[in-house]
Amino acid sequence: MKNEYVGKSVPRIEGIEKVTGRAVYSVDVELPGMVYGAVLRSPFPHARIVEIDLSEAKNSRGVKAVVTGKDFPFNFGGMIRDQPFLSMDRVRYVGDPVVAVAANSEAEAQEALGKIRVRYEELPAIFDPREALAEGAPLIHENLEKYGRSGPYQSVPGTNVCTLRTYSLGDVEAGFAGSDELFEDEFYVHAVAHTPMETHAAVAQYNPTENHYTIWSATDGPYRRAKELADALGISLNQVRFISTYSGGGFGGKGAMVAEVIAVALARFSKGRPVKVVYTREEELTASQTRHAAYMKLKTGVKRDGSFTARKAEIIWDNGAYASKGPDVAVRGGLTIFGPYRIPNLELLSRLVYTNKEPAGAYRGYGTTQVAWACEIQMDIIAQRLKMNPLEIRLKNGYRENDTYINGQIMHAVGLGETLERASREIGWGRPHSRPQDNRFRGKGLAAMIKGTATPTESSCFIKVNPDGSITLLSSTVEIGAGEKTVLAQIAAETIGVPLDSISIPNPDTATTPFDTGVTSSRTTYHMGNAVRLAGQEVRKKILELAGEILKTQPSRLSLARAKILEEGVGERLTLKELLLKKFGGRGGTLLAEGRFSPAGSSLLAASEGREAMSSIFWMFATHAVEVEVDAQTGAVKVLKIAAAHDVGKAINPLGCEQQIEGSVIMGLSNALFEEFKMENGRILNDTLADYKVATIKDLPEIVPIIVEIDQPGGPFGAKGIGEPAAACTAPAIANAIFDAVGIWIKDLPITPEKVLAALDRKKSS
Amino acid sequence: MKFLIDLTVNDEAYQLEVEPQTTLLELLRNQLHLTGTKEGCGLGDCGACIVLVEGKPVNSCLMLAVDAKGREVVTIEALETNGQLHPLQQSFLEKGAVQCGFCTPAMILSAKSLLDKSPRAGEMEIKEALSGVLCRCGSYKKIIAAVLAAGGEKGERNEE
Repeated sequence: MKNEYVGKSVPRIEGIEKVTGRAVYSVDVELPGMVYGAVLRSPFPHARIVEIDLSEAKNSRGVKAVVTGKDFPFNFGGMIRDQPFLSMDRVRYVGDPVVAVAANSEAEAQEALGKIRVRYEELPAIFDPREALAEGAPLIHENLEKYGRSGPYQSVPGTNVCTLRTYSLGDVEAGFAGSDELFEDEFYVHAVAHTPMETHAAVAQYNPTENHYTIWSATDGPYRRAKELADALGISLNQVRFISTYSGGGFGGKGAMVAEVIAVALARFSKGRPVKVVYTREEELTASQTRHAAYMKLKTGVKRDGSFTARKAEIIWDNGAYASKGPDVAVRGGLTIFGPYRIPNLELLSRLVYTNKEPAGAYRGYGTTQVAWACEIQMDIIAQRLKMNPLEIRLKNGYRENDTYINGQIMHAVGLGETLERASREIGWGRPHSRPQDNRFRGKGLAAMIKGTATPTESSCFIKVNPDGSITLLSSTVEIGAGEKTVLAQIAAETIGVPLDSISIPNPDTATTPFDTGVTSSRTTYHMGNAVRLAGQEVRKKILELAGEILKTQPSRLSLARAKILEEGVGERLTLKELLLKKFGGRGGTLLAEGRFSPAGSSLLAASEGREAMSSIFWMFATHAVEVEVDAQTGAVKVLKIAAAHDVGKAINPLGCEQQIEGSVIMGLSNALFEEFKMENGRILNDTLADYKVATIKDLPEIVPIIVEIDQPGGPFGAKGIGEPAAACTAPAIANAIFDAVGIWIKDLPITPEKVLAALDRKKSS
Repeated sequence: MKFLIDLTVNDEAYQLEVEPQTTLLELLRNQLHLTGTKEGCGLGDCGACIVLVEGKPVNSCLMLAVDAKGREVVTIEALETNGQLHPLQQSFLEKGAVQCGFCTPAMILSAKSLLDKSPRAGEMEIKEALSGVLCRCGSYKKIIAAVLAAGGEKGERNEE
């Protein structure tokens, strides 16, 4: 049967709220009696807190609460509980929160901060994770093995290693011995700021009689944050309620508690008043979270025909001061450094290392933007030395249908080859370059990627049929801007057989909407999509049974389309609204169905013994093909065109997929060419958007999004995910195009004119 | 010290008491509760707070409320009339120019200011007029398409 809504580029259902300015974001939450929080932060990268004098601040006008780590001595952290709500006896980066103040106005809170006196004793600080690994390096977390851990994250006592992961398959040394050529390269990927246009913000309210917290925030995973908060404070889940607002951009950065912890600590001491905390842009850039910087070493053995024999990879992730989601980034992101290619022997050492810098957390792609940089540039280095076409070497080694992943899982719906072919064709791969003009050289480059999704994870929803036949979908999927609500509404409308505009989806509230792991890991369409499909089928069944009862016929003779009950051979019998009126009468009643989905136990996840945890219920593939122009006189790199081909399984909403692809491409380009933290003794110097540059509308190249659809087994209508992959290939594709243009390899990000010129000079002199 | 100012916001006349340091953004969001205007940086770098003052786009975080005295201010809340979306709002929706939506009010108002004086604005003009608003979701391509669609007829662009 032809789909009515699935596969159509319908406008997003929450769009009207957004174009009219009515959408409520976390920064817009206003409550009666609300007070405003502000934070005094550490000016030192590493120091002991000797003394805090709060006497003047407490008496400052309008002040309602002044809180230190001693007053609220709890640690939080979704994976490793290593981060204090407020520093207790030690600060670990410039920006670590020390004292929080709540007052009647933001201005009064700020004024009180100026009256706090803190005496610090400076400690030696480390900013480079390689130095933090050295013997005798000062320890940033003493006794780190004592922190609570919510997963099997190995600790290394007496070091700065937050956690590490090793993995091996086959025998790399034998693989290297059997190779014709060996390649050893080092790569660096820099930290970048997520830079959501809405800074982190939260409102928290404490009910002292029930020891209960309510938090309004734009976090991407309300249930996970509720658990993190309950775990941190040692209270039960029904003492914590997260109410989601719209999110003004997250990109992974809202996948941890940030402003929430300050608001919660202040709320505890504000006598029931709601406390609002809105990060300034300076705080957003310097004291929220960043992408992990990563140092990567790759050693790869290759046969003369371009096939791989072995790869050994070493990654050092710069975690900054606290773990956040780093432990999983280091594990799952680390494993994808082997790329979407068949390599028989491999070995990985991935270490997550503390430094005295802003914490790093989840960033769109969860480690893949880092590892794809190393993997894909080395692919081109190999191709060049073997005199192979970069497209051919990828097609030759790339995963195909039913290939085996590095843990033994059989891979299905492998669209890599089609993404390679279509992206390269779009930029005229193989056609000769136009002649250089005025020292400006053109070149083309490719990069591919692979990413899985966290598996297994859980999603639940309720579908409620209201007395008039309108539908409410209750789910804890947060609309972070990626079009989640629209995709879920399309799946619901299609499955139930009702018009799209009859479906409404309120924002999540952990007190009423059921469990979801979160909008993370590109998992929503597949997981919540499946939960909605299941609930939709269930509610459709209930409606048809009810219709059978009312119409005195077999439900199997009935169907539902556009909210009308049709009978086989008869045609339309009555509308859904009429049916409900007949059943419930004028006073009304509702029908309810639950949908619950988890891929746990799926035969698709089968893998080598003991390695099942690395399986992914779906694998995403992408290729970006780029044309650049390099000015050999100035070193400036201009991206002319990017073709971005993504295997999405099935595009539930092609317009939404294009938004994700185009947006990620711009983000990837911006990360690669414009963005960089400038630091001095641990302090971020470029703490405004005038100095920390992100791409503007004038930096927009020609972008051609290409949607590849390879039916995903078990996916709702064959869909998988699209949120993260597109950010990973842009940077290495640009680097490879630069080599094609002027014959230099830039292996450390960002790509700046200075680096291009220096590399051109080195090339000239060699 | 407080100042009493008269101004028009979205066709309604107001007389308001403001502090000398109150910005137009604070006046709109905190005193009039018009929260469609957003703050992204407070320093005039991101453009999320753009409103129209006398028809021209202004970073409302950089304008003091007292300087809005006697002026006519238009915010995103004024564009929808009698339940009908403004053609730019409709176009942003249909062309997929909205993702997280945080920059959307400022983008739409900047585009409105452009199209009001140059209905047939082409791509270069649109880029220039919208370059003061950052969109981290990277909706730029679809935003340009939306403004083009809301502007003059096809083939009548100023630049073409």
